[in-house]
Amino acid sequence: MQKKSNNNISNILNSLHTRREFLTLIGKGIGYSALSTALPGCGGGGNGGTPVAQIPAASSEYTTLKRTSFGVHRDELNAINSIGINAYLEQQLDYQNINDGNLESTIQAKFPLAFQTPSQLHAGFPDNTQAIYTDMIGATQYRQIFSKRQLYEVMVEFWSDHFNIQLTNGLGPTLKPTDDINVIRANALGNFRDLLHASANSPSMLFYLDNFFNQAAAPNENYARELMELHTLGVNGGYTETDVKEVARCFTGWSIRFPGDSNGNPGDFVFIPAIHDNNTKVVLQNNIAANGGKTDGDQVLDILAAHPSTAQFIATKLCRRFISDQPDQASINVVSTAFINSNGDIKQTLRALFASNAFQNTSDLKLCRPSEYLAGTLRALAPDTNYPTDDGVLFVGAQSILGQIPFNWPTPDGYPDIQAYWGSTGGLLNRWRLSFLSYANIIPGINVFQINYNLMLNNANTLVTILDALTNKILMREISSEDESYLLEWLTNETGLADNATLSPSVIDQLSPLIAAVLISSAYFQLR
Amino acid sequence: MAITNNGQDILICIFQRGAADGLNAVAPHGDAEYYIKRPNIAVPLPGDTNGAIDLDGFYGLHPALAPLKPIYDAGEMALIHATGMPHGSRSHFSAQGLIERGVTSKTGPNTGWLGRHLSLNTTPQTSAFRVLSISGNVPVTLTGADDPLAISDISSFGFDQAIIDSGYPDILNNLFRSPIPFSNTAQAALSAVDELSIAKPGSINPDNGAIYPVTDLGRKMKQAGQLIKSTLPVEVICIDSSGWDHHENLPVYIQQSLSELSGAISAFHTDMGNKMQNITIIIHTEFGRRVAQNASQGADHGTGSLAYAIGGGVNGGQVFSDWPGLRDQDLEMNEDLKITTDLRMVLSELLTKRLGGTDINTVFPGLSYTPAGVFM
Repeated sequence: MQKKSNNNISNILNSLHTRREFLTLIGKGIGYSALSTALPGCGGGGNGGTPVAQIPAASSEYTTLKRTSFGVHRDELNAINSIGINAYLEQQLDYQNINDGNLESTIQAKFPLAFQTPSQLHAGFPDNTQAIYTDMIGATQYRQIFSKRQLYEVMVEFWSDHFNIQLTNGLGPTLKPTDDINVIRANALGNFRDLLHASANSPSMLFYLDNFFNQAAAPNENYARELMELHTLGVNGGYTETDVKEVARCFTGWSIRFPGDSNGNPGDFVFIPAIHDNNTKVVLQNNIAANGGKTDGDQVLDILAAHPSTAQFIATKLCRRFISDQPDQASINVVSTAFINSNGDIKQTLRALFASNAFQNTSDLKLCRPSEYLAGTLRALAPDTNYPTDDGVLFVGAQSILGQIPFNWPTPDGYPDIQAYWGSTGGLLNRWRLSFLSYANIIPGINVFQINYNLMLNNANTLVTILDALTNKILMREISSEDESYLLEWLTNETGLADNATLSPSVIDQLSPLIAAVLISSAYFQLR
Repeated sequence: MAITNNGQDILICIFQRGAADGLNAVAPHGDAEYYIKRPNIAVPLPGDTNGAIDLDGFYGLHPALAPLKPIYDAGEMALIHATGMPHGSRSHFSAQGLIERGVTSKTGPNTGWLGRHLSLNTTPQTSAFRVLSISGNVPVTLTGADDPLAISDISSFGFDQAIIDSGYPDILNNLFRSPIPFSNTAQAALSAVDELSIAKPGSINPDNGAIYPVTDLGRKMKQAGQLIKSTLPVEVICIDSSGWDHHENLPVYIQQSLSELSGAISAFHTDMGNKMQNITIIIHTEFGRRVAQNASQGADHGTGSLAYAIGGGVNGGQVFSDWPGLRDQDLEMNEDLKITTDLRMVLSELLTKRLGGTDINTVFPGLSYTPAGVFM
């Protein structure tokens, strides 16, 4: 690595005066690159030539938090270390008894459209479209970052992907807020059968997957297919093309009321007998008797909810979410059995997953997703911050760079839960760009939340002690001696100072956010 | 343009996600059954209002594809109708996976067909830009190639000079050394940042008066053009085009989708000028749509569809098709356009004739290759 005697680190600070300049800073690649002179392995650590280990495993407590929350928060790590993993998870499962302070009232005040009915939203539609997006995304991001009910919010995200609805289509903006409240949030830790029925009856879903226009004369198969492929059985779950057609027939007439319908409110569910196919159907070898009306669809939902393929499919997706991209079949079977035995009780299913060998005895198997990266950055860097003083737009902008804006995945399969998707070259680079949120305190327009480096440093004033303090407070896990050496070597090179020299407060102020950005960018922070 | 690929074509592979309807993109207006099965959504006859642009008395372009007609007439665009891979799936997600892997059933390699072709070239890579996707992620099509790059926006891919000067890329280079997870990806990203900062493709303007539409595909094609015209040794670019799942109101939505497609491709063709002699664009989807319309003025999932091949090395100005017919007894499962040209034959010929040759058995295991005649 090249040796420098000048202090290049201050250049970042000099270039950061406004929000616009921050976005420029994280957004542009121009001019000469120092990369060409970077050589690994010289100096301090004696790493050259010897095989390097992967990163040291994180503790079970840390890993549990990383997998069941949107990022490790100092207070929760203290809690789980104190009461133990099982007790912590039981507290999280009993989410309604977790005092979430004034978060919900803050969200209601800040993002009111996320709580309005289709009728209310339709009154201002489409002029309120952008405001609905902003409020829905803001409410979701606030909960992910600030809620103490972290496992609940993780499951809300899981089911939002499982029953994905993009907010932007047609009447979609007026319908999704109610789906979010009455379908996803109401049942996220409830019973799968209830969740499935709520989703099938949800005007938002009926609109998104075209079932509102599904009629006996010429059925629309869109919802029927995705119901089996994505919501219940899985694509290899044993249904045929004939089943798709039969299920579509069962759901003919399940529709919604449109604006201008004098018989009800826009966005209400409505069953239209006149366009329902009243003949008998056969679904997965079950007879659906003639003249069942709306109950045809209800029967299909019950058949699907109780089908063993559904248990396997949901279990596989849960193991993928909480353990790794390729979970072992034994763990999937344990979770699937719990799902069947509890008749789809989501808490019981999760308890089995949390008790599995694969969950308890592994770590760092998977890259976190962008929602966790963004929320986790806030939770690690600013555990004591007040709610941001802006209108939520900073985090929307940040997530638009990372690529996982809530309710914005276009197809019904939801955001991918495979690390190869997110861990691309572009994906990593975008995370690195966002790591410079560590400079938030000193950038007008970005300083809407508070990072307290002095509290983290606790009077540390040499490169060695500063690095140690920030690693402990931000990563909250052990790093390898090789990485410690690399980091110290970098810092001594860039500052031109010895690693045990006492640093001036101004140098410490300049170094802290840069070190924080590097830590947030590392594999330590991004794996779970 | 730096010729670094030994005279082989640069390939741009566009995947129309969502099952693009072939029957309304290139309408078989000479088949009376087309108008019987699609009474409300068919493209009108040539000469009628908003009618098809006749190609050969039987097929006609959707009017929204008019910007592609000069390319077709110049012999640089061929259309392959009633094509696809016979995978038998009507699931978007399964079918896209199968097509990208170049297989017709779950068994077979998990890598992508193009990735397998690219892996045949074992020359050590000196650039991160040989193989890339203009999107946030690497498509399955490219998996199996060495470290394909995913880059959603070339003008914002990189670091400010102040960040570079701070040593931030250097320390990341060390923290993501092998065998730390994601080391290969991180190293490729850092190399790409370095290369981009020198080549500056984002500052290259369109040539020949080309105006790219301000659409998702327009932006991607513009960047493809910038990369090709830069000093970066680009060989393969994958691009996704989304929004083709027209279950309802197909006439309105396909008009938008085809306009976006033709506007972007036409601008690219103009921008590239003579460079098109060494560029091939292939455009395909996962499966076609049902022949008969549904009650929502749309069409549900089907089987056979349409592919486009564009470039100087294409035997253009013709529609390649062994037309299967649209009567009930002609249809796959009595309702879908049959596949009479296996898309893998077209892709095999592409690799063989335009990309310097390939090993068919590696790329499409089990396929018995006969040239389709689409490429010179």
